[in-house]
This record gives sequence, structure tokens and C-alpha cells, in this order.
Amino acid sequence: MPQLIPTPWLALLIFSWTIFTAIVLPKVLKHSFPDNPTLPSKQNLSKNKWDWSWH
Amino acid sequence: MTLSLFDQFLSPVVCWIPLVAIAIMLPWILFPSPTTRWVNNRNLTSQNWFLGQSTSQIFSPINPGGHKWAILLSSLLIFLTTMNTAGLLPYTFTPTSQLSINMGFAGALWMGIVILGMRTQPTHSLGHLLPEGAPALLTPVLVIIETISLFIRPIALGVRLTANLTAGHLLIQLTSTATLALLTIMPITAIFTGVLLFLLALLEAAVALIQAYVFILLLSLYLQENV
Repeated sequence: MPQLIPTPWLALLIFSWTIFTAIVLPKVLKHSFPDNPTLPSKQNLSKNKWDWSWH
Repeated sequence: MTLSLFDQFLSPVVCWIPLVAIAIMLPWILFPSPTTRWVNNRNLTSQNWFLGQSTSQIFSPINPGGHKWAILLSSLLIFLTTMNTAGLLPYTFTPTSQLSINMGFAGALWMGIVILGMRTQPTHSLGHLLPEGAPALLTPVLVIIETISLFIRPIALGVRLTANLTAGHLLIQLTSTATLALLTIMPITAIFTGVLLFLLALLEAAVALIQAYVFILLLSLYLQENV
């Protein structure tokens, strides 16, 4: 069976791991998952008015 | 005769370029790196959605300490699904049908998971060698059996993927050869083998996705035990 020929084993192993760590991992790392946007809540509008506390 | 059938799995070299290098390096063009834009294009958004869904699916039963492995396992999932499905195209080489590549990933990751478990919580990891609820008399036998099954895991993981893909590709080659040979001699039988070939191709597409998922799922299960 050709898969059992030992000659390209180490090269294939190292090559696949190299491409995996060099290309696939950075690409997947760059994906970001921001929070879902929430609707503005109408309750918080009237609290905490700006009160110019230093005057 | 059998040797020529297996020839499709020989690591092919064309004009001194090993085709396995092209097969491993080229598919990443299909996966653009995400930009810093707030809304990306459809391609990126769908890949992002798929990545998020699969990662949360796989990692929801694992302790929060094991969530550090999310990047490794989800990118391995992308790697394996892409390699498997790209190999279904005609005249392409499937890197994951090679034992070297699959054993490289399976052995290294399994060993990392087991060593992690043995170092951080040795009692808990060794406790998995005796399943709960087993009769006390069977304890010696069970521990031996569970130890053997523990050490067979990397071999099983690598060989499962290799064997599934190799068998699938062989079947496709056999049925297509049969269809072509029968086309002139017995056309009606050739139609039947053609239908069989079509169904086999569908099966192979499913197997490509499922086997990659099973690889990752099993690794996540081993991680669950050890983290």
C-alpha cells in the first residue's frame, strides 16, 4: 500500500503541520465574533443627567 | 492489478513538484482572511458563522479551562474538511488519505491531551481507566482493557480517517472503471453502475465532512476527560 512507504512520511508530516500552523491558524484567529447589537433601552434615558458637579 | 488501483495514493510528483505540496497549500485561497470591516462580504460572513457555530457546538460540554483548545480544534476542523472535500474533485490528490499526515495530527494532539490531563489532574485522568458503575470483581480486567483502549486511540483516530478516504476513493475508481468498460459491451448495466457511481459520489461527499467532524469530536471528548 503506497501509504505505508516510509520515505515521504517525515516530510509530509512536517509539511502539513507547517502549513497548518503558518496559514490555517492565523486565518482562523483573525475571525472575530462581536456581540449581537442590542436595541436601545428606553428606561435608562432619564437617569444620570449631566449635573455640572464642579460649578 | 491491485497495485495499479492503489497507485492513486502514491505521493505524486510532476515536474519535480510534489503535488501534495500544492494540494495542501492551495485551498486556503478559498478562505480569505477577515478584514477589520464591521460588515464583511458574504463569503467571509458565512465562514464566520460556520466557524462560530461549530466551535460553540463542540466546546459547550467542555470545562472553561479546555476552551483554550478552541483555536486548535476548530482550525483543524477547517483543515480536514477542506482537504477531504477538495480531494473529491477529479485528478486531485487527497492529503488526508496519507497515513503520515493523519497520524501526525492524531498522535500529536492525543499525546498533548493525555499529558495535559496527567500533569494537571493525574488522579482524575487515571480515574477514567475504571468506568463508573462497574462491578468490583471486574476491576483488574477493566483497567487493563481501558489502558489498551487509551493507547489505541491515536492509532484508531489516524487510521479511521485514512481508511475511510482511501476506501471511498478506491470504490469510486473501481465503479468508474467498471462503468467505462461496460459502456460499449453492456450499456444497460453501465447505466446501473453509473447510478451507483453517482450515489457513491454523494456518499463520499458526506463521508468527507462527517469523518473530519468525527476526528474533531473524538479529540474534544478526550479533552473533556482530561481537562
